[in-house]
Amino acid sequence: MRAHSLRRSPAPASSRLPNRAPAALPAARPVTLALALAALLAPCAPAQAEGTRYPLEIDNCGHPLRFDGPPGNVVSIGQATTEILYALGVADRMAGTALWFNDVLPAYRDVDAGVPRIADNAPGFEAVVNRRPGFVPTMFEWMIGPQGAVGTRAQFADLGIPAYVMPTDCEAKDNLTGSDGTRSADFDVATLYRSIEEMAAIMDRPARGAEIVADLKARAAAAVGRAQALSLPDASAVVWFSSADLDLDPFVAGQRGIPAWMMRQLGLRNVVQSDEEWPTVGWETIARADPSVIVLARMDRRRFPADDVDKKLAFLASDPVTREMTAVREGRIVILDAQQMEASIRVVDGLETLTAAMQTLAP
Amino acid sequence: MTLALAPAAARRRRGIAPRVLAAALVLALALIGGICIGETRIPPATVLAVLANRLFDAGLPVDPIDAGIIWSYRLTRALVAAGCGAGLATCGAILQALLRNPLADPYLLGISAGASTGAVLVALAGLGAGAVSMSAGAFAGALAAFALVAALARAAGGGAGPRGAGVIILAGIAGSQLFHALTTFLIARSASAEQARGILFWLMGNLSGVRWPDVALALPAAGLVLIVALGHLRTLDAFTFGADSAAALGVPVRRVQATLILATALATAALVSVTGAIGFVGLVIPHAARLLVGPRHGRMLPLAALIGAVFLIAADVLSRIIVPGQVLPIGVVTALVGAPAFALILIRGRCAR
Repeated sequence: MRAHSLRRSPAPASSRLPNRAPAALPAARPVTLALALAALLAPCAPAQAEGTRYPLEIDNCGHPLRFDGPPGNVVSIGQATTEILYALGVADRMAGTALWFNDVLPAYRDVDAGVPRIADNAPGFEAVVNRRPGFVPTMFEWMIGPQGAVGTRAQFADLGIPAYVMPTDCEAKDNLTGSDGTRSADFDVATLYRSIEEMAAIMDRPARGAEIVADLKARAAAAVGRAQALSLPDASAVVWFSSADLDLDPFVAGQRGIPAWMMRQLGLRNVVQSDEEWPTVGWETIARADPSVIVLARMDRRRFPADDVDKKLAFLASDPVTREMTAVREGRIVILDAQQMEASIRVVDGLETLTAAMQTLAP
Repeated sequence: MTLALAPAAARRRRGIAPRVLAAALVLALALIGGICIGETRIPPATVLAVLANRLFDAGLPVDPIDAGIIWSYRLTRALVAAGCGAGLATCGAILQALLRNPLADPYLLGISAGASTGAVLVALAGLGAGAVSMSAGAFAGALAAFALVAALARAAGGGAGPRGAGVIILAGIAGSQLFHALTTFLIARSASAEQARGILFWLMGNLSGVRWPDVALALPAAGLVLIVALGHLRTLDAFTFGADSAAALGVPVRRVQATLILATALATAALVSVTGAIGFVGLVIPHAARLLVGPRHGRMLPLAALIGAVFLIAADVLSRIIVPGQVLPIGVVTALVGAPAFALILIRGRCAR
């Protein structure tokens, strides 16, 4: 079932139009600039001298992992893990990437060109193990987990390959319930920071990891500060990811996922009540909740008509019910890159975009 | 013959006006129920105000979102449900009579299988490059599958003669299997099958996305097939005794068969492209009607259409309220509610005999 997730199906290679990419990632510039600068400065930082002490033992959502030294031939399954590894500056120790949703962050375009892409979507188990990987991190348990599309943890353990699922997706989240999993607790951004730190420790780049986390934390705090300064009175929002067909019930952000975390940070109330990660909710329910802001996901994927943000906008303006919604009539629609709603280094970009939008929308 | 029939016809005509009125009343009540009950709570007063505004230009103050939900979401949904229920029940009744097979249903002619293939081609294989909707793909697929089944039946000598009905059913099975296999192949071959769930959900029957254009397709489709059927009442009665008997009674078997099958195929394809393949209705409702009023099509067909319409409206309402905050697939509800109801009719029908 998990492999049949609606929302996460990555973009087919053909639909990734290169000319769309720069326009699609305006907010990515600050982070990439900061990371690029940090990458330049990193070797001078004294903390870098202190590496990871091996053997390193990590508890990954109840599964013990052991590393006897810095792993090589890393195969990364998921754009989020791949971009974290690029940010850590360990592309030279990577043997392959898979599961792409979007173009790589512009700052890593050259780095990415040097790493083989095993598959655009879920790679086959053999295609991964054939690279003789010393470390296989993934962003989603539905890639490596009880019903893993690539394989189960046991399959990797049998071959002595440490498979790592980012805690953002395996802690307090039941990935066997709901089409994209169901969280038992609110998403905590600390799990993202820990994912980065753990991957940094495994790759023997702890200082670089700490640096990335410190940068993300500082920017997140700044964005939240700017949003709180606005003190919006009882603002609410809905995040529309996509729909199987335009008129059909849309997939929207649930109460406990990453978009919900962003909304909470900025003082926005999510009108969707479900604990599922991306539940399907009827337009009737959404329209009657009449949120003050509508957030639309922009993505390069073109699987359903509603993947296209322009079609989403056209639907909202033309549907006899949605066009009466306050947010539509008053033009309070925010467009957010889908990748910035994932647990990845882009998540703070999303927070910043949303804050900036709130600032322009505030009276 | 004419003399013997005259009193019966007169009796039927006398009784027809109150019956039509009663049917219209039941249908109107079901529609109002369908409009009043939904995902969210809207007071009946608001519902009446919206209807008064729309139908009689009453100009009552109503929240525009509520008005939109009632007029553009719920009413369209109830109307499409009614059209679909009536249309599928009529198609089922026609095919059961024509093919003399109690298991015949509107999807027998490969239509739902073809619709899946068409929708999957559009959604997975990117046929039409986004310009063609899944519905259009489903309609085209349904017609293609039907054309194949019809050609196969014709080549195998279907139609007139004792073997005719059997050949059509076998051709339908072959066509359905082929198109099911094609759908599975397309899903398996596509690099990532994640979106298959969305398509299958839609194909299992879904009324959540219907709007006025869908009403404009579903109601005429159901109306046309019902009119065609009502125009062939005696023929359908004759077919109940087999194609040979019908021919002996002077029915132009091949022409009538072609007309009726084509009408059911077109109507079913149109309905499937609007709502997906809603099961159970086309198979079971005609039997329920037959158990209630007997096998004569003059009474059975209109009743089957009415039960079908009311039943599907009710099933749609239930699909929205059984699990709060979640809309169940309509096909689940039709079977879940329909099967016990049908069991009851079956048992009572036996007692009455």
